[in-house]
Amino acid sequence: MALAQAAPASRRWFRSFELVLGVVLAGGMTLAVLFSGLLFPDGGESMDLMARLLPPFQNPAHILGTDPLGRDVLARVVVGGRISLTVGVLSVLGAVVLGTLVGLVAGYYRGVAEIVLMRFADIQLALPFILIAIMFLAILGTGVDKVIFFMIIAQWVQYARLVRGSVLALRDREFILSARAIGVGNGRIIFQHILPNVLGPIVILMTLNVANNILLESSLTFLGLGVDPLIPSWGGMLADGRTYLQSAWWVSVFPGLAIMFTVLGLNLLGDWLRDYLDPTGQTSR
Amino acid sequence: MKMSTTLKALSFAAAAALAPLAAPQAQAAGTVTVAVAIDPGSWDPIDTFLVDWSSVGNNIFDGLTARGPDMKLKPGLATSWEFLDNNSRIRFKLRENVKFHNGEPFNADAVKFTFDRLLGDEGKKGPQQSNYNSIDHVEVVDPNTVDFVMKQADPVLLTKLAGYGAMIVPPKYLQEKGDEYFNTHPVGTGPYKFVSYEPKVSINLEAFPEHWAGTPKLDKVVFRMIAEANTQIAELQAGRIDIATQIPFGLAPTVEKDPKLSLISITGPTVVALRLNTKNGITKDVNVRKALIMGIDREAIIKAVLLGHGKPIASFQADLSFGYDPNLKPLPFDLAKAKQMLQQAGVQPGAPVKIDFRGNEATFREVAQAAAGFLQALGLKPSLQPYEPPVLLNDIIPNGKTGEAWHNAWGGWTFDYDNTAYLMYHSGEKWNPYDKDPKLDALLEKQRSIYDVKEREKLLQEVARYVADQALEIPLYNQNTIFGVNKRLKNFEPPSDRRFRFTDVTVE
Repeated sequence: MALAQAAPASRRWFRSFELVLGVVLAGGMTLAVLFSGLLFPDGGESMDLMARLLPPFQNPAHILGTDPLGRDVLARVVVGGRISLTVGVLSVLGAVVLGTLVGLVAGYYRGVAEIVLMRFADIQLALPFILIAIMFLAILGTGVDKVIFFMIIAQWVQYARLVRGSVLALRDREFILSARAIGVGNGRIIFQHILPNVLGPIVILMTLNVANNILLESSLTFLGLGVDPLIPSWGGMLADGRTYLQSAWWVSVFPGLAIMFTVLGLNLLGDWLRDYLDPTGQTSR
Repeated sequence: MKMSTTLKALSFAAAAALAPLAAPQAQAAGTVTVAVAIDPGSWDPIDTFLVDWSSVGNNIFDGLTARGPDMKLKPGLATSWEFLDNNSRIRFKLRENVKFHNGEPFNADAVKFTFDRLLGDEGKKGPQQSNYNSIDHVEVVDPNTVDFVMKQADPVLLTKLAGYGAMIVPPKYLQEKGDEYFNTHPVGTGPYKFVSYEPKVSINLEAFPEHWAGTPKLDKVVFRMIAEANTQIAELQAGRIDIATQIPFGLAPTVEKDPKLSLISITGPTVVALRLNTKNGITKDVNVRKALIMGIDREAIIKAVLLGHGKPIASFQADLSFGYDPNLKPLPFDLAKAKQMLQQAGVQPGAPVKIDFRGNEATFREVAQAAAGFLQALGLKPSLQPYEPPVLLNDIIPNGKTGEAWHNAWGGWTFDYDNTAYLMYHSGEKWNPYDKDPKLDALLEKQRSIYDVKEREKLLQEVARYVADQALEIPLYNQNTIFGVNKRLKNFEPPSDRRFRFTDVTVE
């Protein structure tokens, strides 16, 4: 009895802890990135070949040390977040819009549209992501815009399937049928009656995917397929520090930590949102 | 302090405890183990252009001529040669009583067979044939004399006979076993014979006591394929390999600090430049191109990024190369003058300079960023575009789709400026998508027909000076060949082209 009561209490505590940590990590990183222009007016680009690989916590001008070209690691970590967050957020927004539209159309109208769109989605799900990414970026060339475009192409499927599933469950419910009975148009039914009801799971998937895409961008840039190495980015910094893992750990460890904390924060937020929005998980709220 | 002495004591104890166990199993007496990065897949001389092939193949095979670490050409399977009929025929006297590893005798027929194969259909499948197209055919004069009948003059031929596609192969063995079998079971006349080969893992050789130059001093040579530089260094530190061939400049100090190892850094064939787009963008103007050269502090890049393992260059060749001119000096680094030149040429501040480069090269990634930093200081707006190497080399460069500058790295084992310069600057060549310069074409063609060493050298130097004058490229550096070597190796003479030949090496 005592146990049964204790469990929800500790879970509740954990849930709020999750929220706070998520907000602190993801929010803190976002704030730092938003104000990076003010904090580091040089954009982390000023180079000093004579001050290369200075160790961290020793020089007040370079608290986190310098990289192989004598650039400030702290400045580059903070400024580097711009690319990561831009890519993460924009790619997810793009994929959500495209995927949701497809899912709504396929789920609501069914018929030929559904068969064509969903088989298309199935085919895409069967392709290995990184391999396709390497091919795609090798042909089109690299750059932030292409990375974002590619992620949208690769990820809309998840949203399309999710939305279609929800729409299939909703389209024959009474409130939709009654809306149709009183002569509401298809467009209005889709956007006013169905869309709000499928938003919950989409929002959760979005937070998780922002985190996922930040990791992906870093991997692609690390492989030399992402953004211009001159623009500070976390993946690029990892690539720069790779040869120095044994001799100058700080070049790659700090951007690595930045990726880790941001992704962790976003995942915690996503978890919390899932529980918050999940109607069957009322007790944990 | 206390902590570190304890740790040291511990590691000594561990080393002492492990040494007797590890030593006999890893390194039998008289065995040298070398790590190479890539497995060529086939050990047939005509199938490859990989340096790693030659690191191994140079021990299994011999050429008619030979070239050691001192860069001097000396007799190999041929003891002497003379030029006949106005240089259109080269007569080689062959070494007698030489045997292949399978017991087959080496003679004029073997030479003819080798070159018929290289220049025929079998050679066509591989990348080596085009290097030897100046030969029309080989004629047998008597069992110990052959004539090379030339299609056109080729002053570099004697050097080219010392390696790669010109390595002599056994006719009977190939006819009996076939090409496929030969790929994985190579037989030559070299100082070491093939024992076993496990693809992507290792190839094992053992001494060939009947080698014409005497029995080699080692019992066995093992080549292991280890692609990852960090792994090669870890294996070297652990004593499981004796020579590491893949050491990025950034990791050189790790090897240097190890008391059991020595770092060998010698002039190598590889030169690196930023070629400039002479057709589009601000680099169309020769004065702008010169300003870009002067605006980049190449000495600082060599010092900071290569950690000093390189030399500044004025033309696209190493100082070991035939055609090198010690009097041709690189343009000095002078930021103020460069800025002034850009201004005079009417270049707007913030003009774009895009640098295309091979995205897989860690060192150049840093070099490119450093160069971009200097261009930024000139008031320009540099950007870097990494490419997958095949895309850059087969599409972007030959089709003239590069930005203002592109990454050009080159390292011919022949150490002759002819090959480099012709491919880089002659009209219509893959590496020259932008220029058609009749004067340069004429110079390049003329030196190809000249056997007189002094005269050809002068012509090549003229080519280098002309290219520097036109500022077709920003010559960055000649990077060193670096080896990490276990100190137990004695008499190891490091070859700058990485074509090892372990005839005199001994181990403790």
